[in-house]
Amino acid sequence: MGVFVFLPLVLPLTAWPIARLAEQHLHPRTATRLLTGVAAVMAACSTLCLALVMVVGTAQLPGNPLPDGWSDPEVRAAVPYDEVAGKAAIPALFAVLVVCGRTWWRHVRVRRRAHRALAGLRDTEVAVLPDGAPYAYALPGGGRRDRVVVTTGLLECLEPAERRALFAHERAHLSARHHRFLLAVRLAAQANPFLRPLRTAVSYTTERWADEDAAQTIGSRRTVARAIGKAALVSRAPAATPAGLAGLAAAGPVPRRVAALLGPAPAVRTWPSLFTAVGVAAWGAATGAVVSAMSSANSAVTMVLILHAATPL
Amino acid sequence: MGEQRQRPRRRGQGELEALVLSALREADGPATAGWVQERLGGDLAYTTVITILTRLLAKGAVTRERAGRSFAWTCALDQAGLAARRMRKVLDSESDREAVLASFVTGLGPDDERLLRELLRPAGHDGED
Repeated sequence: MGVFVFLPLVLPLTAWPIARLAEQHLHPRTATRLLTGVAAVMAACSTLCLALVMVVGTAQLPGNPLPDGWSDPEVRAAVPYDEVAGKAAIPALFAVLVVCGRTWWRHVRVRRRAHRALAGLRDTEVAVLPDGAPYAYALPGGGRRDRVVVTTGLLECLEPAERRALFAHERAHLSARHHRFLLAVRLAAQANPFLRPLRTAVSYTTERWADEDAAQTIGSRRTVARAIGKAALVSRAPAATPAGLAGLAAAGPVPRRVAALLGPAPAVRTWPSLFTAVGVAAWGAATGAVVSAMSSANSAVTMVLILHAATPL
Repeated sequence: MGEQRQRPRRRGQGELEALVLSALREADGPATAGWVQERLGGDLAYTTVITILTRLLAKGAVTRERAGRSFAWTCALDQAGLAARRMRKVLDSESDREAVLASFVTGLGPDDERLLRELLRPAGHDGED
């Protein structure tokens, strides 16, 4: 399998162009699905690759639980730089598992705690909380009822049409199950840090997707834009960008969403033509994902065959 | 409610406030700090209960009236108010909630506010729809 075993670790780089271009050139729904799919495949392949390399690394260690045959020279010859790579893969895989496990656990915990906080209220889809702090979000049910949580502080500063826009936006998050996309790209970005730009892109495209759905539901793009703008101005929380980067950063996500809504509706194309920059980028990412899947499948099969041959029966 | 028996665990301020508030809500009419302390199973010192009640008074979550030599306390929040308090606590304590809770708007960067006002200006003038 040679160096191919390492390919899935770096192939996420092929998705960087589309992560940048998708935002302006693809319909947010297409972009979200494409980027999440690519990120999930690449993350799974890169983790599998780490696991394969780790087997070789672990087998060399004295006192390891793996069969001695697995550290035969023939097995190790299958992985280039097996000494270094094998040992580096052990902590790397361990870190991936710990970080992803923690994210998963937190995801479950936030949902459970938020639902528990709402216990005692009437079981309606929209939970209005008497609180001066302006915020609103979609709380996925997971066995319980999906809920839209909104505070009186936010509702008070919106006009009736803008409130409808807000509810339509949150309902769009819930009905399209956006939390799953967000969790998937979050886990992917932790499995392979090269996938981080995809996470940032997807957290933006899911918002755009909900914005476009809301605009369609209430029939006015401008009202949605105004609702978002007003809500952002009353919240005015400091952005979560690192302080050093803030000065260099381009317009933040909220102004970009508003600008997009004030512009024309995005075209619903299923797949961009190959003869445009975005087409090349999308096909590049798709090819990267396929190559990643193929080389990790190839490495996995090769590894299983070699290990099978090396295991004394 | 079963949690309040776990004595060795150190509880946060918010959690104690929630306990005291829910105890007060269960009272028929105004209750004394001693009643609250008893209601909570005697886990908390009397002075702690008084401290928490005073803090809740400052936040407008409880009211009090003189009853002889001490005060009688009443919970000023309804179910929704309590839920709002609990939700704030959840949101404040969870640093990475964004993977679960896609909130309506995220924070604004340093230049975003000006940009946003410029974008919304034409929308604000013509009052269509």
